[in-house]
Amino acid sequence: MGEIKPPSAAPGAAPEQREYLSDDPRDIGWVKQNVPCQAACPAGTNVPVYIREIIERQFGRSYETNREANVLPGILGRICSRPCESQCRHGWPGNGEPVAICHLKRVAADMKDAGHRITESLYSPTGKRVAIVGAGPAGVAAAHDLSLLGHDVVIFEREERPGGMLRYGIPEFRLPRDTLDIELHNALRLGVQIRTGAEIGNGEGRIPMAKLEKEFDAVLLATGCMAASPLPLQGDWEKRELRGIKGVEYGLDFLVQMHRGVKKTVGRRVAVVGAGFTALDCARVAARLGAQEVTIHIRTAEEYIPVTQEEIFEAKREGVRIKGLRTPVRLTAEGNRLTGIQFVQNRLGGWRAGGRRQAIPIEGSEFHEPCDTIIIAIGQQTVNDFLGTKLELDRWGNVRVGEDGMTSHKGIFAAGDYVNGASTVIQAVGHGRQVAKRIDAWLMGRERRKQVVRIVPVAQPLRERAFDFIPRQHMPTAPMDERMKDGDHEVELGLDDKLAFEEAKRCYLCNLRYQIDVDRCIFCRACIEVAPRNCIKLVHGVEVQEDGAYGRLLETKEWNQVGAIWIDNNECIRCGQCYKACPVQCISISRCELTEVEV
Amino acid sequence: MATAKNARHHVVIGSGVSGSQAADTLREREPDARVTILTLSSLLFYNRYDLPKVFRGHRDWREFLAYPAEYYKDHRIEVRRCSRVAGVDGPRRTITLEHKEEIRFDTLLVASGGRGYLPEELAEFRPLMHPFASYTEAVTAASLVPDRGHVIMLGGDMIGLDLARTLIDTRHRVTLVAGAQTFWPHEVSDEERPGLIAALEKMGVEVIESHDAGGIATIEQGAKGLSARRVLFKDGTELHGDVVMPFFGLSPSVEFMLGSGTDIERGLLVNPALRTTCEGIYAAGDVCQIWSDAEKRYRFFYGWKNVRAMGDLAARNITGGDEPWVPAQDEKLHIGSDGKIQSPFWEYH
Repeated sequence: MGEIKPPSAAPGAAPEQREYLSDDPRDIGWVKQNVPCQAACPAGTNVPVYIREIIERQFGRSYETNREANVLPGILGRICSRPCESQCRHGWPGNGEPVAICHLKRVAADMKDAGHRITESLYSPTGKRVAIVGAGPAGVAAAHDLSLLGHDVVIFEREERPGGMLRYGIPEFRLPRDTLDIELHNALRLGVQIRTGAEIGNGEGRIPMAKLEKEFDAVLLATGCMAASPLPLQGDWEKRELRGIKGVEYGLDFLVQMHRGVKKTVGRRVAVVGAGFTALDCARVAARLGAQEVTIHIRTAEEYIPVTQEEIFEAKREGVRIKGLRTPVRLTAEGNRLTGIQFVQNRLGGWRAGGRRQAIPIEGSEFHEPCDTIIIAIGQQTVNDFLGTKLELDRWGNVRVGEDGMTSHKGIFAAGDYVNGASTVIQAVGHGRQVAKRIDAWLMGRERRKQVVRIVPVAQPLRERAFDFIPRQHMPTAPMDERMKDGDHEVELGLDDKLAFEEAKRCYLCNLRYQIDVDRCIFCRACIEVAPRNCIKLVHGVEVQEDGAYGRLLETKEWNQVGAIWIDNNECIRCGQCYKACPVQCISISRCELTEVEV
Repeated sequence: MATAKNARHHVVIGSGVSGSQAADTLREREPDARVTILTLSSLLFYNRYDLPKVFRGHRDWREFLAYPAEYYKDHRIEVRRCSRVAGVDGPRRTITLEHKEEIRFDTLLVASGGRGYLPEELAEFRPLMHPFASYTEAVTAASLVPDRGHVIMLGGDMIGLDLARTLIDTRHRVTLVAGAQTFWPHEVSDEERPGLIAALEKMGVEVIESHDAGGIATIEQGAKGLSARRVLFKDGTELHGDVVMPFFGLSPSVEFMLGSGTDIERGLLVNPALRTTCEGIYAAGDVCQIWSDAEKRYRFFYGWKNVRAMGDLAARNITGGDEPWVPAQDEKLHIGSDGKIQSPFWEYH
């Protein structure tokens, strides 16, 4: 193993008991393969470590562990799309339900001490200046990292307040604004300047891009996807402009206007068309605005829509209905007032990316549903024409960037939804951080940080077998009358200390690596006999992958071929039974976590 | 259990009307095949429609069985009770039970039916309600209602209203909190509804329109010495009863089919021959949405006769047939000459 830093254990500790850093690809590969939650997180959040810190009641430290990867834990702990939970080993077949990783993130943010001290390592000033256009999640994450790296950062934001979609696209009942303000403040307080109400472009009162290019060493575009996608209709509705029709709203505009302070109203029967978080948010807002019937119409089925089951359940509790297998083809109107929607019935087609399904319209199956308001929330697009600088675009109209995060124009970088199209907040945060690192490398002429694995010996199992049988703890929610009385009342109330502790215990702590020292093993099979799963195997070899990481285990049942008894960390649920049963203490445990060090 | 070598293994998930009928037909049409029923129930097939009898004092489970145990032995139908299916792998033709056992099949008929749907806004009150979907639940509810006791019925689907007839007949008091699911699965127009509600009242059912009372605010345990349950409405009115029973229609039991390779919307989507989108897997009964060419949509068909006919049809198509589904009963709700409600869904004897 490539030991690249002196051991940090107590003086006199035996070499095998020392903590060390490794850049060996087998170690990096092991973490990526065996800690599925962290691998699934676009920001690479070190989930097992922050959950372990919650068990230890070190909420502040847990918050800091989160911030190392994701600078907005209090926000993501409420509204994250949770790609980590769908990969959680506890949710694999036969293991039960995934750990409530997102709810525990919120626990770290909400339960840290009031006087919690944020700890961050700062680089000395570089004298370089970076302009960031857009104070949404990608822009804020990039600004935070660039300021830590010693650059002077100025954010230009079109709206009156920072936050982008977090502030203008997500309703307050999901994300309270005091939480948003605190998290943004924590992210941007290291000297980042924010100029709100500052629009970039060539029009009157706008700041031209050329000026930014002249005054700054690099410019990062992180303006997100702020234009609602139009609803494709058929026949005489194909080319008709919908915005002027009374009762027609675009979901994104509906939410943005509401959060700018415009008073919004809806009819008695509201139809929301779309299947994402924006559609669900619009439906729940409509219910709070007094609509008597709110229905979300989706093209496929509930199973395949990219929102969490909890959000669907809460929407249904608030009276929202979901109807599947339908695509709108026409609207019906009397004069200039909407009266309903004509749909076509769909059947399910093949698979699309991200576990979604195609919808195939069935010819001749049109039907009509009356409604007073339609809210169209089928997606969002980027807007590029404001720039006045010609940038190369991809086939979807998103700006094209190279591996270094730079656009076709030297010195102009782009990040977040502005590059990737409409995605999730955690994807925007993750991408913002990646591009910040690349901007730093470009400005400084070299990479200043690199990824390694910190390997820490662990004296004994950190879990008990009984923890595997704890059911997932459910999020307490506000009573229905309180939600509807005050439309901004936060629905999810957060896990209390007891619930948080129980939930945290469920985490398998997949970053613990159990290994058998073959030289000391006496092949007694005691570990195999106590293993609750098929996690300890007799092998005659192990494949090595291209990157040097260990691959498939080559199992055997013939004793004369057994080369080793091997713990299959993919199957292992870190219960510690084998460690306790081993009569010769040949099983070791080490904690492996990805971290960054200076190059 | 002797079966011919190379005989096919037909597995049926669910031992209700549909599943049991399918097993019968499979045995009849393929005498050498192996037929296995997997059921969550601890009882052999009993007719759910007979459950109101518990309020007439019939509590012995043997009275409810459709066939004696010997029937299954004689017909070489293996019934595995208390077996929860954890998952189905369509391409591998394998069923995994909760205790990790894997069962291979040549054909699979999913006839797992539906469980009582409870609207999400009432989910938090579930522990205070008494459903009526199984023999055990029926006996539990009946044991809690004293002579001339008061049953508060929420929703009022046709299963519930059928029970209401028995309750009135046995001198119990029934208060129906009516809403959108009243008369489910019948689709009742705004014009028809007042007449039907009046007919219910004429039958002796007290009716409160939930919407008029602002909806249910909370359900609580009654204070000591008072009725066991208290239902409080948003307008401040309240109801006291011995049990609160939810009847909001059925929700298909399909969770175990997620990831099986079959298409699911609310239920399993099947073509008119009751085939799912995964080869070798069929569905019948309350769990499936059948494509209706006439209506150009996938839809459920309810009722004892329909469900039994679906089981029979699926089994015939599994064993070489290719017949399309034809509904076996009328779906129209009407008021009889005696002023009482008449539903085809109540015709099961």
